[in-house]
Amino acid sequence: MLVKDYMTRHPLMAEPTMSIVEAQRYMGENHIRHLPVVGDGKRLLGLVTRQTLLVDPARLGSLDIWDITRYLSGLRVTDVMVKAEHVVSITPDTTVEEAARIMVEHKVGCLPVLDDGAVVGIITEMDLLRLLMEMMATREHGVRVTIRMPNVRGELARLVSAIAAQGWGIPACGGLVNPRNPQQWDAVVKIHDATREEVVAALSRVEGQQIIDVREV
Amino acid sequence: MQGAPKIPILEVDGLAISYKTRRGDVPAVRDVSFEIMRSEAHSIVGESGCGKSTVAFGIVNFLGRNGKIVGGRILFQGRDLVGRSQEELRKLRGDRIAMVYQDPMQALNPSMRLGDQMAEVLIVHRKMKKAAAEERCLQMLERVYMADPASVMRRYPHQISGGQQQRVVIAMALLNDPALLIMDEPTTALDVTVEAAVLDLIAELQQEFATAIMYISHNLGVVARVSQRVGVMYAGELVERSTVEEVYLHPHHPYTQGLIRCVPRLGADKSSSYLHPIRGRVPSPANLPPGCVFEPRCDYARPECCSRRPPMREVSPGHWVRCFFAEEVAQQARLPQDALVEALAAARATPADRPILRVEGARTYYEVPSKRLIGGGKQQVKAVDDVSLEVFPGETFGIVGESGCGKTTLVRTIIGLERPTDGAFEFMGFDIRTPLAKRDLALIRNLQMVFQNPDSTLNPSFSVGAQIARPLRRFKVVPKSEVRQEVIRLLNLMKLGEAYYDRLPQQLSGGEKQRVGIARAIAGRPELVLCDEPVSALDVSVQAAVLNLLMDIQKQLGTTLVFIAHDLSVVRFLCDRIAVMYLGQIAEIGSAEAIYAPPYHPYTEALLSAVPIPDPRVEQKHVRLSGTVPSALDPPSGCRFHTRCPRMLGPICQTQAPPRQDDGNGHYIYCHIPLEELRKVEMVVTWGHKDAETR
Repeated sequence: MLVKDYMTRHPLMAEPTMSIVEAQRYMGENHIRHLPVVGDGKRLLGLVTRQTLLVDPARLGSLDIWDITRYLSGLRVTDVMVKAEHVVSITPDTTVEEAARIMVEHKVGCLPVLDDGAVVGIITEMDLLRLLMEMMATREHGVRVTIRMPNVRGELARLVSAIAAQGWGIPACGGLVNPRNPQQWDAVVKIHDATREEVVAALSRVEGQQIIDVREV
Repeated sequence: MQGAPKIPILEVDGLAISYKTRRGDVPAVRDVSFEIMRSEAHSIVGESGCGKSTVAFGIVNFLGRNGKIVGGRILFQGRDLVGRSQEELRKLRGDRIAMVYQDPMQALNPSMRLGDQMAEVLIVHRKMKKAAAEERCLQMLERVYMADPASVMRRYPHQISGGQQQRVVIAMALLNDPALLIMDEPTTALDVTVEAAVLDLIAELQQEFATAIMYISHNLGVVARVSQRVGVMYAGELVERSTVEEVYLHPHHPYTQGLIRCVPRLGADKSSSYLHPIRGRVPSPANLPPGCVFEPRCDYARPECCSRRPPMREVSPGHWVRCFFAEEVAQQARLPQDALVEALAAARATPADRPILRVEGARTYYEVPSKRLIGGGKQQVKAVDDVSLEVFPGETFGIVGESGCGKTTLVRTIIGLERPTDGAFEFMGFDIRTPLAKRDLALIRNLQMVFQNPDSTLNPSFSVGAQIARPLRRFKVVPKSEVRQEVIRLLNLMKLGEAYYDRLPQQLSGGEKQRVGIARAIAGRPELVLCDEPVSALDVSVQAAVLNLLMDIQKQLGTTLVFIAHDLSVVRFLCDRIAVMYLGQIAEIGSAEAIYAPPYHPYTEALLSAVPIPDPRVEQKHVRLSGTVPSALDPPSGCRFHTRCPRMLGPICQTQAPPRQDDGNGHYIYCHIPLEELRKVEMVVTWGHKDAETR
């Protein structure tokens, strides 16, 4: 699961001389929130987001109405963009979880994906949310069950073999340490070809593990 | 979020392009609209002169000095390309659109090593360091499955084969990671097996690089293989546009139907079907009909078609047609079978006992000087090496194989243009090993040839009539006073008419030139006509007409035909018996039915699986040959096919020449694999019927 498989290839991009009026329209028409600014050879020069296009009232306060118009129409994306040296970017071979970590750490909503300095794609919060959705096989029907188990080696294997013994399929499985109790580990499993009652019956027999949530989706 | 709502990479809306000429503006493209989504392949098909390439050139603003976009919009990634200056365009489009042309040699600089040319792209566009750029080029060449990429980088373009050149060009186009790749007939100049491999590559790269592809082709089979959606273009307009399945299975426009009907399908033969050529030809853009552009050639035309231009309308979701009567047309998709079909079946040749042409152990070698500076005798290119075949009166005998297999050399040797090195050649019982100059006039008269390229075989300064009259006078076919009458009769037979008598070759279209070539060949009423790829340079609708013509002539005059082609569907359609050649030798020989059904020679199997078939329902086995035909200078030992054979048995193939195995009925396979094994091979092409059931 690498960034190159989940990023948007060939993103829409702007050249530095594009006026911000046009940039705003371009982003609006195409429903995008991030616009990399590139020079020759798709070299990253900066990034325009909807925030950077917001007009700073403090800067306008001293201008009269005519000056505002001229000031705004003369603005180019190169004047407002976040310069490349301040843009956080990643490479196509980064893992998606690393991309998520970088976005959380820097509190940014998108990462341009650079290969040798050239923009080859872009990955945003939306891509990661979609990935979470796909990892949990959200669009498939089945029984979604959350199991709390001791944070001990071999526990997950016991759960999986209990499911396998019934001949059920597992389209998705994820897990994490219980945030309130590091001794416990919560697994979320999606199960095919079974009803809620069958799942409860089969999994409640697994010793030491506890069903904390089960629902048919 | 990028791409959440479907944004087309390219959106062409109401595009119109005109060329300025002395007689005023010529509208080459009118009202063309389509869009290409992210990582989608969209094809444009049509005959030559329909404006396909003009659309492509319009997108990259490459129209030349007299071309101009006169209307419409071209949105690339949501931004309009029309009406911008060159500099603006360059910035806007940058290196995000790449183009691959038909002839790879035109895209490559013949005086630069391939590695330097490729690296230049990165050094100039991306300002990469030379070493890094070369490293990346090497990776890209590996990516397009180039054998031994490091050595290819050091070579010049002429030192690699056409298929390899096209791979280099594709690799170069992808170096900049374009969002849109425009391919203008990229495989037209390639052999069928190479073409199949390049098409596979294109489909794979499209997935990996998420590149949107605009694919221009005249070949319906190729289009069915590479693209998801297709637009059919005719005389500068899009006449039909939908998914590939829709267009092929439910064509709604008479022109689309015509195109599909005039391609011989692999598996069809002349006794069971008749090609339906589209009469007439594409109107010149300077002289368009006032109503529907297809009206003069349309079988369904009604009075309103002549006066009003039909609009593009949606007949079913996503299926656009430019025809007033699309629904009716779709229902009458199949024409009533012609009476000709039965006539042809009846006229089918019954093989006589005595062959008209017998070739045994034919060898034609060319001598080339040794490359060594000192010593080293002359080397020999074994273009034809031990070929034996018999052709019976009244039949059509096909010879197929990739280019460089010795097909042309064989017929040139038969007709006397090359001197045979060894072997017996007998025509109507006469020995024909003598060179052309010493041959008896009667012999020459009875053995004629139709060449591949009609442009280069007609004398440009003589009128059509004079060229056809020449063999008539020379062979004294008719008395002098009747020559003109006879020429006109021949022209009528060719469906050309008397008006062509005084025309010069430059005033004729490709199909008409080829008809004149055929008329000239049959003027002396020969017994045997050798046809060297007579239709491969022609458009499909013209090709159908020429093929029908050849069949009619054969029926009327009882002429025997030897027909060379690389297109297996054409050969299957036309020929009674077929020889498959590989590297100067015959791999398999037999009746048409026997060649196209198991047991196959492994080479035949690969050829068949490479044929692009214009029918999405067809299931084709996936056999791909690696590499190209080895050099005839130093053919592989043992079985010559062993270097590329997917079914190679083992050392025996490398050391011993394969035995001739008899499958009965004159069907012979030259292979080490026992016939029982070969019989177990399943059919390469199966006609899927699942679709027929569901509908």
